[in-house]
Amino acid sequence: MASSEIFHCSVVTPERAVLECEAKFVALPAWDGEVGILKGRAPLLCKLGIGRLRIETAAGTQVLFVDGGFAEMLDNRLTILTEDARAPEELDRQAASANLDAARGLTVTDDASFEARQKALQRARTQLRLAE
Amino acid sequence: MANRRVLVQRRKAVRNIHKITRTMQMIANARFQAAYKRAVASKPYTEKLAKLVEDLAKAAKGIDHPLMREPEEGGVALVMVITSTRGLCGGYNGNILRLAGEHIRGLEEKGEQFELHMVGKKGVTYLKFAGWPMDREITDIGEVPRFDQVEPLANEMMERFIKGEIRSVDVAYMNFVSTGKQIPVVERLLPLSGLEPEIEEEASAEAEVQYEFSPDPTELLNELLPATVRIALFQAFSDAVVSEQVARMVAMTAATEAAEDIIKRLTQQYNRARQTAITMELLDIVGGANALS
Repeated sequence: MASSEIFHCSVVTPERAVLECEAKFVALPAWDGEVGILKGRAPLLCKLGIGRLRIETAAGTQVLFVDGGFAEMLDNRLTILTEDARAPEELDRQAASANLDAARGLTVTDDASFEARQKALQRARTQLRLAE
Repeated sequence: MANRRVLVQRRKAVRNIHKITRTMQMIANARFQAAYKRAVASKPYTEKLAKLVEDLAKAAKGIDHPLMREPEEGGVALVMVITSTRGLCGGYNGNILRLAGEHIRGLEEKGEQFELHMVGKKGVTYLKFAGWPMDREITDIGEVPRFDQVEPLANEMMERFIKGEIRSVDVAYMNFVSTGKQIPVVERLLPLSGLEPEIEEEASAEAEVQYEFSPDPTELLNELLPATVRIALFQAFSDAVVSEQVARMVAMTAATEAAEDIIKRLTQQYNRARQTAITMELLDIVGGANALS
């Protein structure tokens, strides 16, 4: 039974194909909250936020940091397009905390700068949390 | 006698150059493999993105986005030229600069204002030499362009385009078609075009997938279009790097072969000179012996 419940999952960035695997379950950091994906899900196209991507495979669970992008689920193939995807080991804790400080120092004058600040804060916080 | 020594020295010099060009050829080969792998690695992303835009454009019943609008009057045309940081790559930089020059002259003839952004040290030096004004020099992107280096450039372009400061963005770079073929091209980055879904409704209607969109298609498109611009620029950069390495490989192979030819010729000349000298000496000795008897 177990083998029939897997689906294909690939994570690609402009620079490389980060991951190609058969997954049992994937939790996506969508723009408005987490989305869980199992085999046989209806076609989905959604925008991703900044957060943690969790992929459960037969070999264990894998976690990636994802910085925005898109996810498409179609015919039991999940494709995640993102501009930055990194494993926790690849994250730099010090750089992340420096970025967090820098983000805190940003001044907000209008909606756009507020959004930019929020994004930078979230990016730094997520990286920090995952780097631990 | 002196002639022979000169020949030996020259042959030695050519051998040294031969050694260097052969090494450079091998380095270029290795770098080409790496660059090619990177360029290919970004293909799945690009293709998938293009597919998504097409699907979404269908779902959203056409697209209307600030990045796609032909600008009204005003604004300058931005031209970005991607050249290499290092030389010794044959006609690589020359070809790009020639094409970019033609493009710019075309703009001038139409009386359009333009802004020139130069990437790569070689292009910058050339333009300084030619006395052309540059609006921006970008020399910090090395042989391995990273996405996070290219992204801010693209974002800035889009921001200024939407504000109406610039009316178009063209990128001149060496397009990598295959290992045997690279062509310099001027590619239009903004305004975006060619994204309209083709009208062949009957055929595709039944095959169309009913996606669940989150958020709605129009909003997704607003996110996707900037992503396509960013990836297009990144692709231009990585193509340029691959083409550069190919050009260097070809140039260095030619140089190595030329050096081999010269070595062969010099060796021949040297042997002939040596033989002549021996003959002369023999004649001397025989002549001397004859005179004595």
